[in-house]
Amino acid sequence: MRNIFIWTVIAAILFALPNLLSFSQQEVLVFLTINILVVASYRLLTLTGEWSLGHVVIMGVGAYASAMLTKSSGLYVPLGIVMGGVVAGLTALALSYPLFRMKGFYFLIGSFAAGEIIRLLWKRFREPFGGTKGIKGIDPMPDFSVGFYDFDFFEPTSYFYFSAIVVAICLWILWRIEKSPIGLTFQAVHWQDKLAQASGVNLRAYRTLAFVIASGFAGIAGALLAHYIGTINPNSFDVEVMVFVLTWAIVGGTSTFYGPILGCVVLTILNEVVLRELGLEQTRPLIYGLILILSILFMPNGLESIVQKFTRQKERRSLRPEEAK
Amino acid sequence: MTSLLEVKDLTMRFGGLTAVDTLNFKVEKGTIHGLIGPNGAGKTTTFNMISGFYTPSAGEVLLRGENIAGLPMHEVARRGVVRTFQHSTLFAELTVLENALVGTHMPFRPNLFAAIFGWDKDARNGAEARAREALTFFGLADVGHEHAGDLSHGHQRALGMAVAYASHPDIVLLDEPFTGMNPEETKHMMGLMKQLCSDGITILLVEHDMQAIMGLCDNITCMSFGKFLAEGGPAEIRNHPAVIEAYLGGARHVA
Amino acid sequence: MIELLAQTGLNAVYAASYISLVAVGLVLIFGVMGVINFAHGELFMAGAYVVVALYAQRFVPFFIAVAAGLVFVGLLGLLMERALFRPLRDNPLGGLVASIGFLMILQALAVMGFGVRMEYIPPVTQEVIAFSDKVRLPISRLYVIIAAVVMLSLLWYFLKRTRFGWALRASAQDPQAAALQGISVTLTAKIAMFIGAGFAGLAGALTAPLVSVNPYMGHSIIVTAFIVIIVGGVGSLEGAVLASIVYAFVHTFVTTFYDGVIADITGLMLMLIVLIVKPTGLFGSADRA
Repeated sequence: MRNIFIWTVIAAILFALPNLLSFSQQEVLVFLTINILVVASYRLLTLTGEWSLGHVVIMGVGAYASAMLTKSSGLYVPLGIVMGGVVAGLTALALSYPLFRMKGFYFLIGSFAAGEIIRLLWKRFREPFGGTKGIKGIDPMPDFSVGFYDFDFFEPTSYFYFSAIVVAICLWILWRIEKSPIGLTFQAVHWQDKLAQASGVNLRAYRTLAFVIASGFAGIAGALLAHYIGTINPNSFDVEVMVFVLTWAIVGGTSTFYGPILGCVVLTILNEVVLRELGLEQTRPLIYGLILILSILFMPNGLESIVQKFTRQKERRSLRPEEAK
Repeated sequence: MTSLLEVKDLTMRFGGLTAVDTLNFKVEKGTIHGLIGPNGAGKTTTFNMISGFYTPSAGEVLLRGENIAGLPMHEVARRGVVRTFQHSTLFAELTVLENALVGTHMPFRPNLFAAIFGWDKDARNGAEARAREALTFFGLADVGHEHAGDLSHGHQRALGMAVAYASHPDIVLLDEPFTGMNPEETKHMMGLMKQLCSDGITILLVEHDMQAIMGLCDNITCMSFGKFLAEGGPAEIRNHPAVIEAYLGGARHVA
Repeated sequence: MIELLAQTGLNAVYAASYISLVAVGLVLIFGVMGVINFAHGELFMAGAYVVVALYAQRFVPFFIAVAAGLVFVGLLGLLMERALFRPLRDNPLGGLVASIGFLMILQALAVMGFGVRMEYIPPVTQEVIAFSDKVRLPISRLYVIIAAVVMLSLLWYFLKRTRFGWALRASAQDPQAAALQGISVTLTAKIAMFIGAGFAGLAGALTAPLVSVNPYMGHSIIVTAFIVIIVGGVGSLEGAVLASIVYAFVHTFVTTFYDGVIADITGLMLMLIVLIVKPTGLFGSADRA
């Protein structure tokens, strides 16, 4: 009952939120929503202890797949978004054969190489990928009405509602997976792969599973992005974007489900809103870089560690009256 | 009749060094079998070959007559051979209960779609019941919520065995299970092992604690410098001239 | 045809020279500190901007500007060691993130100081060694080749023949054992950072008149350097040099006979194949994964 109340309040806040923001902030909000899915899906992979540098390219695979499918065969856009996830997942499955012969640092670099190859293929082949200029005029989400609300997808607000619903569903699935025996097995693979294997866990299969699921959701995020901005090119998914995802995850902390999301929200607001409002356009990367360094130096366990500290204090305080009895 | 587990001409070479040299022994169902020898005799290497951690250079590991040598570790485990590791190899960052739950991976295989939609309630309950059963058996029921890394050394050893036990093994390979335990804990653990054995689980163990080995094992295989040295019951091994020679001549003093 | 091959070969030798300077520095830093320095490409960029500032804008003699580039970027390396990698010694992932932060700062400083446009740098010399009509080696490229050969030989001598070099190699292999032997981990880290960063600065400074200098030039060189250190085996300096040569030849020839993007793809495929077949690299044996 209390949970339902909390979620209703959150939903109401999210519904009201875009109306409090300027147009450009509304756009940031849409990107933030999509990025939350990118970083949350990234966390699923990090559960197994592997860090990929190809996640953003895989997200791009979803974007390209959905853009191309809806454009060439007139596929209904929401179906295209789902297909974007499927194609991204299948791409990850294919990549997993070479990539999971490696672990740790080698996987990191290998995933980077695989991602760069995909990006270069987009660049090199104008047919069908559009070359350096990428794909333009991607079909927008068709407008529709749900009775009390008319979705007009040229408005960022509408697209925010739409993507928020999609992302919420995806986050729920990711959460369910993490809290299931499968999620536990992922963690077992991370912390002591030999002991997990001695318990009958097929390490390669579970690493692949995490990689494919994470990639599938990244693909959905990419497709959401493609149908919003309407044009994508190989540079939309380059290493710089990957670096942002990596820093969201690390600054937020990856030991909890909400850590990377927290990192994404805080850093995005800082970068896109606060620094912009302060008129520090040119020094923005400088300050962002400084924040990155300071947070890793003084908050090695991420923003989540601060939240955990706070909630633990609260727990202790709420325990005290009972102890007094 | 074939033995439950048979090691045939098992050999492991690392570069020019032969760590285990044409080793042969049999483990009969329902027994506790000890593998002893001075330091560097190749006991752990043998363990690693049986459990699939290493692929032998030559020879066979026969489980109920089937050659399992060279299979990956999880395939060996799925055939009922489950091992523990030396030292405290645990999921230190997970809770004790979660550790045991990982042990139930084989009897309760997770299913992705069932897990998302919550159709796996029975399996989850079953796994948890089994995990708690294993923890209770090894006296860890009270510390289920603690992180495995925070446990005392003796408890960590017990948890390693609980994880193996939770998977319903036919045969468990225990690598130095008594290391770091005080005499009382050792005695208690020996009792538990006898109980496991009477429940039909076969045990193969490597151990330095001679008193424990002698008090526990039905059969003992002694090796030295990678080679088979002697085999027999505790009394036989204790008085075997080659075994005494190996231990006195070796670097390690018999405890 | 033979002339084309010879010319492409010369181009490849030039490319191998500056790539190996950058890659060897990256390997040295990774070997001693255990950190992947993502800012290494920006150290290269910083070296190039020292030449812009001193040689192109203030008419300081070129080679003095180059030497200043080496020292300045070496000092940047020391700064990174002190401010980032030393506090994060037990946190390799943290070191990586910190180096990304440093990368962004260097880029932003370059943009603020010089703007995003490409810098014009007057050529150091127009002289060319002409082997024939179509086979020509500009002297300015020869400088890069000579510098690489000299510096790498000095480094090799330093590592194999001096006590410091021995300490450096020891702590690269096993930091704890090295510390027990009385080797100062901090000192070896400082030396490795100064040399590693300095080499990147040197390469950037020397090639500044030959490439397009802009704040984002570090990007492509770091990708190349990653490929090279993987192919060469992550811990191996000799491997990095050999892999630089292999990569430079493959890349230059594919660029000449097909195109640049295919060459990039080929380079990455080369690295992936090496990773799959022999994750420790063609010349490496130490596994630090």
